[in-house]
Amino acid sequence: MYKWYALKRILRGVVMYVILMFVFSALFNTVSETTQRSQIEEQVRLEANRLKNLKSDQIEAFRKQRKEQLIKQYRFDRPVGERILLRAVNSVTFNFGKSTIMKAANGSQQVLAIIGEALPRTILLFTTAILIETVIGIVLGLIQARKPGGILDRSTSLITMIVYGMPAWWLGMMLIMVFVYGVKAFPSGGIMSAPPPDGFMRVFDVLWHMTLPVCTLILLGFWGLAFLIRNIVLGILQEDFIMSARARGVPENKILFGHTMRTAAPPLVTIGFLSLLASISGAILFEGIFSWPGLGNLYWIAVQQNDVPVLLGNLAITTGVYLSGLVILDLVYGFLDPRIKVGGKA
Amino acid sequence: MSFKDALAPLKEFWGEFRRSSSGLIGLGILGVSVLLVIFEPLIVPFPEVGKRWKDINYWEDNSSSAPPAWTNFFLKQKKTVSSRIENPRVSVEEGDGIIMDRIEFPYRWNYDLPPHDLIFKAVGTGTFQFAVSVERPDGETIELFQRVEQELTGQDVRVSFNTDVRNATFEYLRSKESTEAITELDSESVRPTEIIFSEAGQGMAKAQRPLKGEYKFIISTMRMGEESKIERPRLLVVGAVSGILGTDTGKRDIFSGLVSGLKWALLIGLMTSAISVLIGVMYGIVAAYYGGVVDTVMTFIFELFVSMPVLPILIVASAVFKPSIWFTIGALILFSWVGSVKTVRSMALQIKEETYIEAAKALGASNQRIIWRHMAPLLIPYSFASMALSVPGAIVYESSISLLGLGDATIVTWGQILFDANRGGAILNGVWWWIVPPGLLIAIMGMTFAFLGFAMDKILHPKLRTR
Repeated sequence: MYKWYALKRILRGVVMYVILMFVFSALFNTVSETTQRSQIEEQVRLEANRLKNLKSDQIEAFRKQRKEQLIKQYRFDRPVGERILLRAVNSVTFNFGKSTIMKAANGSQQVLAIIGEALPRTILLFTTAILIETVIGIVLGLIQARKPGGILDRSTSLITMIVYGMPAWWLGMMLIMVFVYGVKAFPSGGIMSAPPPDGFMRVFDVLWHMTLPVCTLILLGFWGLAFLIRNIVLGILQEDFIMSARARGVPENKILFGHTMRTAAPPLVTIGFLSLLASISGAILFEGIFSWPGLGNLYWIAVQQNDVPVLLGNLAITTGVYLSGLVILDLVYGFLDPRIKVGGKA
Repeated sequence: MSFKDALAPLKEFWGEFRRSSSGLIGLGILGVSVLLVIFEPLIVPFPEVGKRWKDINYWEDNSSSAPPAWTNFFLKQKKTVSSRIENPRVSVEEGDGIIMDRIEFPYRWNYDLPPHDLIFKAVGTGTFQFAVSVERPDGETIELFQRVEQELTGQDVRVSFNTDVRNATFEYLRSKESTEAITELDSESVRPTEIIFSEAGQGMAKAQRPLKGEYKFIISTMRMGEESKIERPRLLVVGAVSGILGTDTGKRDIFSGLVSGLKWALLIGLMTSAISVLIGVMYGIVAAYYGGVVDTVMTFIFELFVSMPVLPILIVASAVFKPSIWFTIGALILFSWVGSVKTVRSMALQIKEETYIEAAKALGASNQRIIWRHMAPLLIPYSFASMALSVPGAIVYESSISLLGLGDATIVTWGQILFDANRGGAILNGVWWWIVPPGLLIAIMGMTFAFLGFAMDKILHPKLRTR
């Protein structure tokens, strides 16, 4: 039953997320407590400054009492284990607290608001890039597989290996240097011009800002995809049913697109999805080079300003996105490849 | 198993590997890199680069953001290349207890644009007087500078022409130039090196014509007795172009930094991949061999690690713990061992069912013996390809962390050079020699190991070769 398979997979994803949040909160407990304690100090100091018509010993008493109250509120008087548990629960319920410095566009200091603003932009950038990448990759991979060992196949494989270890952010720097400061064709960064144009032009403005980052991702991405697709297709082409189709005289194009592609669909979907997730796990930093205000850029700013709550919240959200990506991947895979859910074990 | 038996499959492997030209190129680049690492102190112009990369004093005599020397090739007006003259001609005269040295630095100048600065440096002890002058190719001699040093105990004596000889060169200019031209100028607006390296005569203040030829910079000292001395004299020409790959805004020689970063890149890449792949292989074998509860638990732990986005976690951990390079390598291993588990586990599941394993069990072989003697030797060769293929990832991860400024501050890595470049506005100012080479090296390292890995992969999976 697909329903049960899906339910089981989703549940397992949730369990994983909870465990990971617990691990993170244990790992980063000390540092986030230091930040919180200094936040409490700050808050008490501000409140005490507001009390003008009190004597100094009264202010001192107020400070002490207020601090104790806050410490109790944040449960700093409780044992470490309990605090770690509490923080994990907070992370799971997306209650990340307030940032120390950074602000969302509307001035809110809630970490969730800051991240909520950035997340859609990251998704927009990466899904666009991956979609284009996958299309180019499939076409190129099929062409390669048609004549393995040919000039095209060999040169493409060579380029795949050449760009294998090239960091996306470095290519981004190169492209910016050439196309932004050399040939002044694209904006240097950001998601919109300031002030942003109205109406339909706004879409074009965003597209214009997107071009260079998306090109960077595509330029690096599709080679590897094509290579993988080539290998999958070549593997399938050696199967017996292809041989029998050939023996029956089925045209080569039909074998490639009808028989092979159909069999290759599940791994192809997996690869496309996995490369999307790999970007989240690896290439996300390159947003900072383009000042694309997504999750990756948030890491840059949070690291520069040493804003620990944002950093930890960002990590939780990124992990959540990554994990849900993996779950969706399994769901799609189970849908495309019925063999998987028969055993009931992924 | 004798030594010869162990060698046979290796020979066979080499026979096949030899046929892959990209694999050989990869092997070649790897060999060159290893040689570079071994001979680093002989190759780099600044041998202490690894220890003193962040020490501004070490780099103070270089020019700031100078392009590589070979860019002169594309220029009509050749700029002066940075150089150092370290073997002057020294002659000593003695009389009446006064010792007089004459230290002569010959310098052949054949460019069109003067250097930014000239720096005389030496180590001084005791009390002495010294004077600096230059003999030009046209026969003129300019007295540039005089100073008395007292009771030095091995400090650096440093004369920077740009700051210290301005008055003398301006006087020289005044003696050659027309009065009208001089009134518009003062000693602050004229660069000493421009005067020293241009033809004398009217109009030299405005339009300088380069005076090419043999220059002699002469340092004459006067000292009382042997206990006062001036040692290791050297003249540094601070050119407008410098070295193989130029300098950055912090006056650091980029080539030296890159060569010094090579060993770290190799160490990070090889250590991370070797250890993590071995862990992954053993993990897969153990999970497959024992099966049952062990397999379930181990698979769950494996999946937990797979569900973590590596780079974000590394960034947060580095930001929080301010790590050393060893911490980074450890963290990379912690997250990258999962790479080979899945494949190895499925392969090990097949091997486990082979009859010879059953026979070994029937003969009473222990589990450990079966794993180490019968399963691991079959699967570890497979891991070499994935080892090579996971090297670039480790290098890129480390550079990404360094790019954020979270790298180990005691060493030089390519990522850190790029971090400095990014922060120093290299993109904006078009300082390409600061950005292109480090990233290119990361990419070349990646390519090298991709060549090696894919070549090995092809041998191990011959199915992919043709239809």
